[in-house]
Amino acid sequence: MDLRAGDSWGMLACLCTVLWHLPAVPALNRTGDPGPGPSIQKTYDLTRYLEHQLRSLAGTYLNYLGPPFNEPDFNPPRLGADTLPRATVNLEVWRSLNDKLRLTQNYEAYSHLLCYLRGLNRQAATAELRHSLAHFCTSLQGLLGSIAGVMATLGYPLPQPLPGTEPTWTPGPAHSDFLQKMDDFWLLKELQTWLWRSAKDFNRLKKKMQPPAAAVTLHLEAHGF
Amino acid sequence: MALFAVFQTTFLLTLLSLRTHQSEVLAEHLPLTPEALKVSVNSAQQCLHLQWTVHNLPYNQEFKMIFQIQISRTETSNVIWMGNYSTTMKRNETVHWSWESELPLECAAHFVRIRSVVDDARFPEWNFWSSWSSWQEVNVQDSTGQDTLFVFPKDKLVEEGSNITICYISGNIQNDISCYLEGEQIHGEQLDPHVSTFKLENVPFIRKGGTNIYCEEKQRKAISNGTVLFVSKVLEEPKDFSCETRDFKTLICTWDPGANTALDWSKQPSQSYTLFESYSGKKKHCEEKNRCNWQITQDSQEIYNFTLITENYLRKRSVNLLFNLTHRVHPMSPFSVQFENISATSAVMTWKVHSLGDYFTLLCQVELHGEGKMIQHNVSVKANGKYLLNELEPNTEYVAQVHCADDNHFWKWSEWSGRDFTTPEAAPSEAPDVWRTMKSGSHNVTLFWKPLSKFHANGKILFYNVAVENLDKPSRLEHRSIPAPANSTELTLDGCSYQIRVTASNSAGASPAAVIVVSAAPGNKEIEEEIIEGTEDGFSMSWKPQSGDVMGYVVEWCDRPQDPLCDFQWKKLGPNTTSTVISSDAFRPGVQYNFRIYELSTKRIAHLLERKTGYTRELAPSDNPHVVTNNLTSHSFTLSWKNYSTKSQPAFIRGYHVYLKSKEEQCQPGAEKAVLPDDTVCCQYKIDNPEQKTFTVENLKPESFYEFLVTPHTSFSEGPSGTFTKVRTPDEYPYMLVHVIVPVVICVVLLVCGCLLKSQWMKDKCYPDIPDPYKSSVLSLIKSKENPHRTIMSISDCIPDAIEVVNKQEGSKIQSLGTRKSLTEPELTKLSYLYLLPTEKNYSGPGPCICFENYTYNQAASDCASCGHAPVSPEAPPSQWGLLTSSENLLKALEKNYMNSLGEIPAGETTLNYVSQLASPMSGDKDSLSTNALVPPPCSEYKMQMAVPLCLASPPPTENSDLSSITLLGPSEHYR
Repeated sequence: MDLRAGDSWGMLACLCTVLWHLPAVPALNRTGDPGPGPSIQKTYDLTRYLEHQLRSLAGTYLNYLGPPFNEPDFNPPRLGADTLPRATVNLEVWRSLNDKLRLTQNYEAYSHLLCYLRGLNRQAATAELRHSLAHFCTSLQGLLGSIAGVMATLGYPLPQPLPGTEPTWTPGPAHSDFLQKMDDFWLLKELQTWLWRSAKDFNRLKKKMQPPAAAVTLHLEAHGF
Repeated sequence: MALFAVFQTTFLLTLLSLRTHQSEVLAEHLPLTPEALKVSVNSAQQCLHLQWTVHNLPYNQEFKMIFQIQISRTETSNVIWMGNYSTTMKRNETVHWSWESELPLECAAHFVRIRSVVDDARFPEWNFWSSWSSWQEVNVQDSTGQDTLFVFPKDKLVEEGSNITICYISGNIQNDISCYLEGEQIHGEQLDPHVSTFKLENVPFIRKGGTNIYCEEKQRKAISNGTVLFVSKVLEEPKDFSCETRDFKTLICTWDPGANTALDWSKQPSQSYTLFESYSGKKKHCEEKNRCNWQITQDSQEIYNFTLITENYLRKRSVNLLFNLTHRVHPMSPFSVQFENISATSAVMTWKVHSLGDYFTLLCQVELHGEGKMIQHNVSVKANGKYLLNELEPNTEYVAQVHCADDNHFWKWSEWSGRDFTTPEAAPSEAPDVWRTMKSGSHNVTLFWKPLSKFHANGKILFYNVAVENLDKPSRLEHRSIPAPANSTELTLDGCSYQIRVTASNSAGASPAAVIVVSAAPGNKEIEEEIIEGTEDGFSMSWKPQSGDVMGYVVEWCDRPQDPLCDFQWKKLGPNTTSTVISSDAFRPGVQYNFRIYELSTKRIAHLLERKTGYTRELAPSDNPHVVTNNLTSHSFTLSWKNYSTKSQPAFIRGYHVYLKSKEEQCQPGAEKAVLPDDTVCCQYKIDNPEQKTFTVENLKPESFYEFLVTPHTSFSEGPSGTFTKVRTPDEYPYMLVHVIVPVVICVVLLVCGCLLKSQWMKDKCYPDIPDPYKSSVLSLIKSKENPHRTIMSISDCIPDAIEVVNKQEGSKIQSLGTRKSLTEPELTKLSYLYLLPTEKNYSGPGPCICFENYTYNQAASDCASCGHAPVSPEAPPSQWGLLTSSENLLKALEKNYMNSLGEIPAGETTLNYVSQLASPMSGDKDSLSTNALVPPPCSEYKMQMAVPLCLASPPPTENSDLSSITLLGPSEHYR
């Protein structure tokens, strides 16, 4: 488009173009709708809170399992815990994840982990432990809802579970209680890693969703017109 | 007939032979080897279930048989168990038998074989062992990969204290493997190169979540696998199993369940409890662990035989209880407890009970709590209970409660039901205890009374009534009402006798009156105080009754005698009592308590009988008396401590000890040597009369130091070892001198006064005008010969030293100017001393320096360093003198004096000089001065004296004309 000074039609056309594109600039939408920023921040805060909560719960639960599960350097093979969603990922792969995939992975992981965690609750005997686990499950459910909220704000659909792939916590007859305890250990460990990763994920998202300087400039220029 | 017999015999023989043949066939052709042996495995139970049959059994009848079973492990030759199993069986019947292995069956292959024998008396011919069946192998190896380590048994449930064997199968793993139980390594034995077993004995209960046993490869330091051993607590037999009914509708059975044997991970739930009644054959599963309700049916069953069964996965236990229902009645607690007709001393209690039927009578127990006491009464009750509570105290809060039990067959009391109530007040039941004090010499009577005890007050005392009646003359009764809680009042009476009546009143009425009579003539004669010994428990005292007809005795005292209010106390005693013990919590050691014992006549008049005093415990005196020293003489002094009060001491003062320290080794008569706590020895005087508060120490030495200490002593100790006070006896002569000198001084004063009156006369006689040296002929002679700059020393420059008045006879003057020897002769010279006086009345300058020659000083001034005068050499120039003294005036004076005295210095005088300084010419005119100088004084001459040290007296080696007349003087001579 050839714009020259004094060309009122050209200016008008430019203004109309800018105004047309304004709703598409995320930073400018903040005036009416706060956008995903606050909900991401809340999700991040909830993640940190769950990290803290899990630290206490894991200590209690591993003591309930007894040695060697409560020993500090215990690192069992991941025998029966293969079905647990893995939080560890290559750094480059993690960096290359787009927002949707990033959020989807978090959502799917916590959906599965929550289901496993409820199975853990069924086995625990002491009332105190059951109460702690139930409280943590409620908090984790809240985190899941919070992630779903962020995804909805950004317009991402929630992942649908494939029929028949609903994770269950029903160990087969060959699955001994010792291996089950090891799975419990891995569940708590994976949960801890996921919360740590989620904190990184949401921190990254939070920074990304902050209004870039160019958008603000554009906003001012448009306002100046 | 014979044919028949032959036929019969033949038949029997045939039959016998047939039977023999059959036996031989069974033995040879019918082996009883067990067949169709099948072995199944129960891994969780670690059991082998065997089933087999014996096909070759003849006849279709039961045979009693013994089966011998062999079990081998790992290989057939390794037989680990062999045993017999006896049973009866028919042909083709299947026999079942189980064997429990201590080693998990997964750990090794097992082999089983069986053989049998007929153990039946009917067939003794078959009593031989059959052949062994073929070995049957049992192998329950896990089908998973060979690179995985397995630990068996998996998730085993065992009872606490049992023994268990575990094993691991390492498969193809070549590394060393260590196994741990809850972190502690366990050691086992190797079964084969890939299998090791561990025997755990007496396994403990650790947690409901199971005991973890795990193995790890040493090289990898990673846990390979493990198992959880679920150790259950031992199921206990229920204790204190009991059943009872409260309403004949439900039986409530209770028991103590003991430890919960539940385990987590769904391994074992809590033990279950089931109630079984054998007569009715009914069974009930109990929902709760420690109680169960059993519904009583209306079939009039009286006897119950209960069995309480508890079980878990590992064990089953039971207890039995047989009882008659009517003997196990635990009534419900009574209700509607009420009180009726509550008076000061009684109340009626009513209550209701839940009916148990017409044939039941309840025994109810009423308990009454009040005033720290408890009273129980039993009442038999059908439906409504009622009981009269009597002998209650007025104005008292009571709690009454009731519980009931079956009267026919006591089983248990019901719970208590109760209420509280308070009885109303009643008039006080007893007269207050009244006593009085009377101030001596006045008619003021203070009445005291003790508050009534709660038992006698019967309510809250509101006021005390005091009625005073004059006994000597009829008059109006005087009433006084004193509100409680006052406990005294003061009455002012006249000299008459009065009867005083005191009553205490509450809301219900007044108490009986306490009567006391105050006599017009108290007749408190002087009664000597008796000392009594007290103890921590109080004072025990007795008295002698004076008159036979008495109402009683009263002992009065003060609990705090040192306080102004003194906390007055008394104790009334009966007429037959002549001794008592007075005790009080207020009694303190070291405090003197005084007791007065009164006798109460039948007319209620009190007479002082005896006085006692004492301490509960005497303490050592804490202070020594403040002692004043009087009458100090050279041989004695008097000590006095009259302000010392013996009454306020913490013990009875029995006397005093006076300690005297001196340099004398021997003590005076009346004293004895005593060693003080600091090991010093001194003399001790003993004073045994506590009221003797002065003491004179005699036979002392004059001008000597003495130290004394006065300390009180009691019957067991004496006062503190305080500091001694020093005293010095004076000299005995001043005493005499005072008598001599005082009159002399008075005489001298009178003489001086007389002299002052005759001063002019005295002046003429004693100190006439001083001659002026300026007008001396000698001075004129010197002036003509010597330096005209020389001047006569001004008297104002002279420092006065002393005035010497020398009375000389005219005839001896010339001699005195000659040798010293002639001067010192007493017969020639009389010396006297006067103070320096001004030469003229109008003299206003510095005081004249007039020195009178002092021969005594002359001799004494041999040491130049100690001389009070500036040492002067006659030959020393002024500059040198400046080194000796900074006073310029002194320098000039010395110079002038030297010049003046040249004319008088005889040849051959000594080095120590006394240079006269004559009167200053500044104050007078030269004429008169010169005139006077030439005229010698009539009775004295004045010369200023200066001591000149020997070291400076040597003349300088010059031939100055000034020195021409100076002659080196010998020792002990002086310039003149």
